[in-house]
Amino acid sequence: MTGPHVAGDLVDDRYEVIDYVNEGGMQFVYAAKDTILDRVVALKTPKNTSALKRFNRSAIVSAKVNHPNIAKTLDYFECDEKPYLIEEFIQGSDLQNSFLKKIKFLDPYLAARVFHHLAKGIAAAHHVKVIHRDLKPSNVMVSDDPQFSVIKITDFGIAKMAGEELTEVALGGVESITASQTAIGALPYMAPEAIETPKDVDLPADVWSVGAMMYEIITGEKPFGMGLIAVNKIMSANFNPFPSFLTINPQFSPLSTKLIELIVLCLQKDPKKRPSADKLVELCSTLYYPISERHEGIVASIKYNSWGFINLNSQNVFFNLDSVYGKLPKVGDRVVFSMSPGGGANRAHPIIRLIPEASAA
Amino acid sequence: MRSKHVVQVYDVVGLGTDALGIVEEYIDGEDLWNSQFPKISLDNYLKTLWQVASGLADIHSAKIIHRDIKPNNMKLDGEGVIKIFDFGLARDEGANAKTKGFKGTPGFAAPELYSHDTVVFSRAIDTYAFGASAIFFTGTALPPCLMQIPPTALPPGYFLTLPLGTPKVLGELLESCLFTDPSDRPLMEDIKNEIARYLLKDKHQAIVIHNGNPQYLNSETKSVQLELTGIGKVEIAYDGLHFKVVSVSGEIYINNSVPQVGTILPASCVVAIGATYRHANQRAFITFDVSNPEVVL
Repeated sequence: MTGPHVAGDLVDDRYEVIDYVNEGGMQFVYAAKDTILDRVVALKTPKNTSALKRFNRSAIVSAKVNHPNIAKTLDYFECDEKPYLIEEFIQGSDLQNSFLKKIKFLDPYLAARVFHHLAKGIAAAHHVKVIHRDLKPSNVMVSDDPQFSVIKITDFGIAKMAGEELTEVALGGVESITASQTAIGALPYMAPEAIETPKDVDLPADVWSVGAMMYEIITGEKPFGMGLIAVNKIMSANFNPFPSFLTINPQFSPLSTKLIELIVLCLQKDPKKRPSADKLVELCSTLYYPISERHEGIVASIKYNSWGFINLNSQNVFFNLDSVYGKLPKVGDRVVFSMSPGGGANRAHPIIRLIPEASAA
Repeated sequence: MRSKHVVQVYDVVGLGTDALGIVEEYIDGEDLWNSQFPKISLDNYLKTLWQVASGLADIHSAKIIHRDIKPNNMKLDGEGVIKIFDFGLARDEGANAKTKGFKGTPGFAAPELYSHDTVVFSRAIDTYAFGASAIFFTGTALPPCLMQIPPTALPPGYFLTLPLGTPKVLGELLESCLFTDPSDRPLMEDIKNEIARYLLKDKHQAIVIHNGNPQYLNSETKSVQLELTGIGKVEIAYDGLHFKVVSVSGEIYINNSVPQVGTILPASCVVAIGATYRHANQRAFITFDVSNPEVVL
């Protein structure tokens, strides 16, 4: 395993390390068993000294937020001179490392649900004046099921209280932001003011980041591209045009159009013009999206380039190519879909093709 | 167990030699005994009932009986989330689910708990207490029949006489929570799902697309007629909960099945007019997708 622990380690006579989960920018994350309360928790410990400074504060800040869409901080302690944070464990993965690699982008139905829950979580943090400052797909945990029944924001590692001054923040501009390990936030999702005047970052910076993240979730691309070229585009709030596949299909375009409108509201250069997190929740609560169970199957046949069947555990599910969101699948491709009852065979809608390399692995 | 609507236990700590302390999530909010929230509107009332029912359904699916469900043991936090707390009397289901002597809160305690002998109880006592709480949340004092020892049956149709205008079907379901025979009471999971449907009443929308042109059906535009002259005709209407076929004639297929009057349209379907033997210009395909805003609490 990576980091300071191996399976079976007992931390603080209480938490038994089960497995290494991943590492955030600044910390190692393990799944551990709380031997007193007999439940699985996430055990986090900082990677290096620069992370150490922020670790304790992040525990204090994140513990202030109590909401179903925020991973709950349960405990903080030091053991063998190392600090540890115990957090609610989410059986699943983060959006970056599993899902976006497998699917690249979400259909508008599921994307709307993610948007709504993220807005709720951020609103709860903002109500207690906590700014997350590092919202990105790898800091969003979703449960294993393909319909994401659980969506939680995690890693308040660089969060701060609104109005709070942070002296350790690197104020060196673009160079230090892209080069330094201690840069505040992930560049592709950073608000212009977070680059220009990191000291003055306030609540609207999180709203920008939610917008940038949702852009990627529905398009599969970063809104301002990658690397340094993105900085100029971010500074002028000049996001790349939304690809046409979002709105080309009349069954999806009404919701996609609404999502694009909300994202554009979040990606305004002037922080004052962006909606508050509460306003964003209100706007999300007017979105119409079906919530239905999702399944994973294999395309078994396609006829006349128009319809076909998906094999789901040896059950045949009818589908029409019009129900596919994004790139069309070929026979043998894996797809994720919802289904409704139909005569002879159930009917799949919507359908998203999984990226073949990822699903083969 | 973990539930959005149950207060979380964070820690158990030893206090001295023979005392234990439980560290629980602190809910900065008011308990529902004092809260005005449920009484303000039918929507608030249903949101309250749905959250409590969700918490209880989660408790029961973990095979736990709470045993002291009442509005004083529920709290509303600043984010509008309701949580059940005080597991002081909670028991696992099964052999240990019996007690000697009365434990519970009069008015909210089910009739079977008033027996003089050892009482064997089930999760249905929580369902009973939920039903009594549902009366309380309308702003009404518990009726005399519930305050008797042991409590007696409610007059039929009781919930329909209460403020806030609970819909008839739901009122009857809530009334069944208070049935004297525990085995007649519904499951919390079913109650939760039924309340959820009413929370979304008149809030569904269907997008009907023919030849790329979307048309919307909702509480404002309630019905649509789809017709290919001489071949088939169907009228679909929204009743606030479902989209249903109200009339049908000729060759009509919904997801490849022949619909009847009263057929509820699935969440996503294709309405086909014209049978398969017909030429393409004598057939029409209309997609029909139902959605609703999500109640995120």
